[in-house]
Amino acid sequence: MTLSTPLIWVIVPMVVAVVCTLTAERRQLSLIIACVFTFGLALLAAYLPQELILSLGPLTISIEESLNFFGRKITLVSAMLPMVAFLYGTTGLWLLSSNLQSVPKSFRPTSLIITAALTAALGVEPFLYAALLIETAVLVSVPMITFPVKSEHSGVLRYLGLMTIAMPFILIAGWLLTGVVTLPPESPLIGQSAVVLGLGFAIWLAVFPFHSWVPMVSEHSHPTVFSFLLFILPTGILVFGLNFLNRYGFLRTSEAIFNIIRLTGVMMIVFGGVSTAVQEELKRAFGFSILVETGYSLLAIGLAASGGLHWMLMMFPVRALGYWLWGYTLARLETHYGASIGLGTIQGAARRTPWLSSGLILAQLSIAGLPLLASFPIKIVLLSQAASESISLGVWSLFGSLGLFLFSIRLLLSFYHPSENENDQIWHVQEKLPHYAPIIIMMVVLMAFGLFPGKFFTGLIDILTAFPHLQ
Amino acid sequence: MQVISKLALIAIVLSVMIVLIFRDWRIIALALGAQYLGAFVLVLLSWPINMAIVKLISGWMATAVMVFTSLRCSREELQPENVANLFFKGLSGLLMIVLIFILAPPLQRRVFPDVDLLIIQGGLIMMGMALMQLGLNSKPFPVIIGLLTFLTGFEVIYAALELSTLLTGLLAVVTLGMAVVGVSMMVSAEEADSVIQEEEQQ
Repeated sequence: MTLSTPLIWVIVPMVVAVVCTLTAERRQLSLIIACVFTFGLALLAAYLPQELILSLGPLTISIEESLNFFGRKITLVSAMLPMVAFLYGTTGLWLLSSNLQSVPKSFRPTSLIITAALTAALGVEPFLYAALLIETAVLVSVPMITFPVKSEHSGVLRYLGLMTIAMPFILIAGWLLTGVVTLPPESPLIGQSAVVLGLGFAIWLAVFPFHSWVPMVSEHSHPTVFSFLLFILPTGILVFGLNFLNRYGFLRTSEAIFNIIRLTGVMMIVFGGVSTAVQEELKRAFGFSILVETGYSLLAIGLAASGGLHWMLMMFPVRALGYWLWGYTLARLETHYGASIGLGTIQGAARRTPWLSSGLILAQLSIAGLPLLASFPIKIVLLSQAASESISLGVWSLFGSLGLFLFSIRLLLSFYHPSENENDQIWHVQEKLPHYAPIIIMMVVLMAFGLFPGKFFTGLIDILTAFPHLQ
Repeated sequence: MQVISKLALIAIVLSVMIVLIFRDWRIIALALGAQYLGAFVLVLLSWPINMAIVKLISGWMATAVMVFTSLRCSREELQPENVANLFFKGLSGLLMIVLIFILAPPLQRRVFPDVDLLIIQGGLIMMGMALMQLGLNSKPFPVIIGLLTFLTGFEVIYAALELSTLLTGLLAVVTLGMAVVGVSMMVSAEEADSVIQEEEQQ
């Protein structure tokens, strides 16, 4: 029996998405189907032997790496399977929390389709067509982020508009770059191609000044949905971006390009950090914190010469856990305090919902890079590397990160100080174990990641073997 | 073919101006249909008819989807547009078209030497006017029309650079997906407006 990797990790999830749509009214059944298949696909990708042969008793299944599709190929090489496992594992994590109140019914099928589209984008040939698959993922994501606030569309329209405008930049840049390979290094076309490519990625990754939709969408969409989308899309886009670095030598060797990427990253960290520090709305603050994370990814790419790509890949799992915890706790807080959660509305929340409050603080501190938490080992290395390149880069990055800490302190004070009409001596804990058990588990995991970084962080680095020039 | 292509370019220029200036969905739908026809003729300069027709069909399908939704959603008559507003939009559109006619020849020489000038002019006019449309509007219908126009302009140029069945299929999926997303947003905005109106009446 012969199967192919794209059939298993692209077509099967699409079929499961259709099944989830048909069973959307039976939420538990739909949840079980989605989670079983998603985690199953993740485990299969993680533990499939490198020879791509599965032996199940008398049955031997050989799995090919390619699938022909409209005259072109989708190829998922075995080196890319850790990334596929990671994408499906994280999608499964978010699906586990998809039974929370007011998560749109469309979230399960949509998240599966987005992950399948991004997986296809990892292997489509020519690789440029991935831009169209990413655009498809964006289009699919729109209905779930317009829910439940139906009248507020301006942020979503900006998101859709900017993502759509980015796609032609990438495709045109790809076409330009195919001709650039044969040109002499001083040709102006090389710089022009790099600018077009950079613009495309800047719009995709919501780099300043194309970021305005991020806080707008985060403010009006469901935290579970938004945290998933803003994790999975940039991750897919960044891995797709590795293709360009791998294929075009002039991109890899240009010091100017890496300088610009580094500077852009630091600018994003500072901008996002300062904006987060002054926010009153928790969901908007999350949106701005995401800009900081984008900044760290760019900083890591800018430091590629000193191993930055490893750090960028190692940040993905940490980010996934932090975003998930943030999305989960915010969603739970929404059920307590309504859709608009500001620092004022959550005053004294720690006295009623201590685990929820602790979870949100910990998620924020983990993303900020507090020592002993998951992202600390990576961020401290990135900050040190940035400082060794240029002391001002390191100082500004640290300054931006302090914005996240400042917001965490404001959050902590709001959680602890009771509102004016509350008796400050009394704690009325209103949480139930099923609600806070996932928070405790994730808190333990985040601390374990921070305490034993070497045990958890190395798996995703293996995908660099799929990019021979980047190892 | 050259005469037909020039007529197609004229049709594109007129249709994008109409889409930019007017607000009535019936007029916009007709203009969008004409725009897809013009784009089809320009794509024919680079692709065989059996591939190029996919763009026409997907474009017209997207237009039809938007038209039927507008038909459902349009409850009240549009207020007549302010003359100064019409004049401003018309003038800015004309400036954009003039700018593109100036920029297209050097762009062809330096970046796209193998692509017909008419294709570059037609594609850029659609993309430029679409960006203007996006900048001037914030409601789902005009924004989605702007994005569809932008994609069409890009497809016209990109068709001259690459021929692939998968690419054609994916772009058709994106065009139709954009229309479906537009429909979902228009319908949800309409529902939200109805709820607000009912609450106000109570």
